[in-house]
Amino acid sequence: MTSLQNKVTELFENGTINLLIGFKEAIHKLPVPCFIDNVSQVEQLIFTPSCKGNLSVYLLKTEVKQAKKVGILANVATLRAIVQLVSENQLGDIEKTVITLDAKGELVVFATMDELEAYVQANFPDLSEEDKKLLDQLNAMSRTERWQYWTEQFTACVKCYACRAVCPMCYCSSCTVEGNQPQWIKVSSETTGNLEWHTMRAMHLGGRCINCGECGRICPVGIPVHMLTVKMNQDIEAEFGAKTGFSVKNGYALNSFKPGDKEQFIK
Amino acid sequence: MNIYNIKSSQLAEFFEQLIKSGKIVIAPVLKKSGKVFFEAVHSYDQVSTDYIQTGFSAKSVVFPKVEELFSFKKDDEGIEITNNLHTIPETVVWGLRPCDASAFNYLTEFFLKENPDTYFAVRKEKTTLIAISCAKADDACFCTSVELNPGSTSGSDMLLTTMGESVYVEVITEKGKAAVETAASLFTPGEEKSKEEFLAKVTSVFSMDEVKERIKTAYDSAEWKHASMGCFGCGACAFACPTCTCFDIQDEGTQDSGKRLRCWDACGFGLFTKHTSGHNPRTNQTERRRQRLMHKFKYSVENLGIVSCVGCGRCIRNCPAHLNIFENILSVTK
Amino acid sequence: MTNQYIPYKMRIANIIEEAPHVQTYRLEFVDEKDAEQFSFKAGQFAEYGVFGEGESTFCIASSPTREGYLECTFRSSGRVTKALANCELNDIIGLRGPFGNTFPIEEWYGKNIVFITGGIGLPPLRCLIWNLLDQREKFGDITIYYGARTVNDLVYKEELEEWKNRSDVNLFLTVDPGGETPEWKGLVGFVPTILEQNPPKSENSVAIIAGPPILIKMGMPILGKNGFENENIYTTLENRMKCGVGKCGHCTVGKTYVCKDGPVFTYDEVLNMPPEY
Repeated sequence: MTSLQNKVTELFENGTINLLIGFKEAIHKLPVPCFIDNVSQVEQLIFTPSCKGNLSVYLLKTEVKQAKKVGILANVATLRAIVQLVSENQLGDIEKTVITLDAKGELVVFATMDELEAYVQANFPDLSEEDKKLLDQLNAMSRTERWQYWTEQFTACVKCYACRAVCPMCYCSSCTVEGNQPQWIKVSSETTGNLEWHTMRAMHLGGRCINCGECGRICPVGIPVHMLTVKMNQDIEAEFGAKTGFSVKNGYALNSFKPGDKEQFIK
Repeated sequence: MNIYNIKSSQLAEFFEQLIKSGKIVIAPVLKKSGKVFFEAVHSYDQVSTDYIQTGFSAKSVVFPKVEELFSFKKDDEGIEITNNLHTIPETVVWGLRPCDASAFNYLTEFFLKENPDTYFAVRKEKTTLIAISCAKADDACFCTSVELNPGSTSGSDMLLTTMGESVYVEVITEKGKAAVETAASLFTPGEEKSKEEFLAKVTSVFSMDEVKERIKTAYDSAEWKHASMGCFGCGACAFACPTCTCFDIQDEGTQDSGKRLRCWDACGFGLFTKHTSGHNPRTNQTERRRQRLMHKFKYSVENLGIVSCVGCGRCIRNCPAHLNIFENILSVTK
Repeated sequence: MTNQYIPYKMRIANIIEEAPHVQTYRLEFVDEKDAEQFSFKAGQFAEYGVFGEGESTFCIASSPTREGYLECTFRSSGRVTKALANCELNDIIGLRGPFGNTFPIEEWYGKNIVFITGGIGLPPLRCLIWNLLDQREKFGDITIYYGARTVNDLVYKEELEEWKNRSDVNLFLTVDPGGETPEWKGLVGFVPTILEQNPPKSENSVAIIAGPPILIKMGMPILGKNGFENENIYTTLENRMKCGVGKCGHCTVGKTYVCKDGPVFTYDEVLNMPPEY
């Protein structure tokens, strides 16, 4: 057994956790989410730098909350998501035990939220090289070219809502697309309606999205959906100095006003 | 069944003839994202030949993601209702895998056996399926577990199997014959032979008979919760799946003019079964995922005598959490 | 091949306000030819559509013995029913159907028939009640247990009067405790309570129970206690329906499609289904 597996066994045996959300190896040797509720299942657990998925989304799932004491293997993007979720008061239902892998490959089990926050701030992730490149390309486009780019991309969207499903920040129990009085977002998939859906979602996520890139990674038709909010976050950081997932005192940049903000309308 | 041979180097010419025949030709195309999807093409250059499986299935040819059922317009005399079934073109689907072709058998039974569906019927009638055998497979493929194989002719009008410099052509139907006739000079009649050495080896992961028997009592298995923990309730698996047929009906426009559409839907969505009163017969994701698997391996068998899974593995590849359908089936039928 | 998705055009010929938010529409075919070839049997339902808004599923509430029109009774609760409620006399709406299976009336000749329902569960049974009353001599006793939350919530108020005054119908009409008005002369009590206090005899009888899930849940055991076999208890199930023809998948309960294998089921059949309705 690896040191990770030993550690997790220990956490089960001393009653710290009833459920662990982690990774296991699956098809194509990909790390995929796995759920362990018994020490007999521990041997499939892995946690390596290639475990890039953001498991924090599962902390909001009913079946996971039912377990009450939940452990989670968190890479830096996931840690950032946890900080943001705590700042939005979404993780009060569970006692969480968060485990990360530091740069040296050592396991770190956070004792407190403060420790977790400090770690995130000290290891605040940058965009991946791939995302930086695409962001540069988008920034270099004219407005018309950017519109053309996204129109082409979203024509392929099939409205499977995998992007929404995998996002830890999309936790609304009743999503805007699910209403039909009025019907803000069409059910059918066609270019304009798809643009409306993604733009609306980006507006709800700008200033909250922690740039894990999961939505773009898992899109079945290969649309780099995450770039919408990566770009928005870049703008919001420039305008308001707000870094998402940085501090539990964050809140949400777009729905808070501070006296130092440059807008004059409220004065 | 008629057997022909065509030189591998002349496949492109056959393809161009199909295009020249005036039909719409849908083939696998490599996209910028690195995934391969079926698209209408104008030349063989656009066709991808180096893929194990396409991202989505070819079902959209007969069951599009959005189908206009009719359009309506109010005038002084009342309401005029029209539809454009008469504009559906003759279509050839090139490059689907044997699993996908077999899926068309299920789709045909489902849509036409009882209360036949006009839209499906028109589209299927106008579609020719030219399948290509699998020389490679990956660990998400499990066709051999559902009684298919990488060289199966089930459901296709023509099946092509590359054997070195030449392509072994099995013509199964009249439509397949008509396709040969668009480029008759390229084809030479051939002898039946074994495709085995040119086909991928797909290891069986379960016995279909055993699963069909055990699933009869699997509804109350305690394993469903664990098997469904990773499921977020998106529609990726259902939309990618060649046999998923659930749909929603939506009106768009105004009460004066607009259209009624049918669009892909998925039993995994939380709202799928929810009543206007708020009552939801399937209250959580465990119940919803159970429905999907029970439907594929039990209810379809009870209703149509067919397991509605062809082992293509798309659900596994497209799932954001890579939930594994055959692993789950094994665990709930233990 | 008939195109199952093209609706008939129906003119709203009459509107009755039955109860708060509940209306009955009498519909007539715009096209004579449609009227001539359309026929249905008690138990079947239709998809009623407002063009541009969508379709909603209700039973056909009028009896097939009454020709020249169809009726539907609905409560406006969602987008489509609200749009329907906003329609006016002579507006054109769409109707697709008839869909589903039927009550096996021929098997009930000579038997006593018991109806148990509440609130807006009456419309699907009202079709059947008039169907039987229009051939009254073929059946034994006809007993109806019906109630609503308040006097105002009772539907088909005039027809209830008519049934009350008929000597060949036993009507137990009730409102929930607290729902009565000073003028109320009927019973007071939940429908299952009234059923329990005035149990129907099970010999040579058939029971049809429909309505809110709680009514069915409480009523079934009472029938069982009084000797009704599960195969002689019928219900009409409701589930989310869209296509009406067993294709869209929304209404499935196990392998059963409520729209095409139902909505009429015996209690035996219901017990053999997974509890997903």
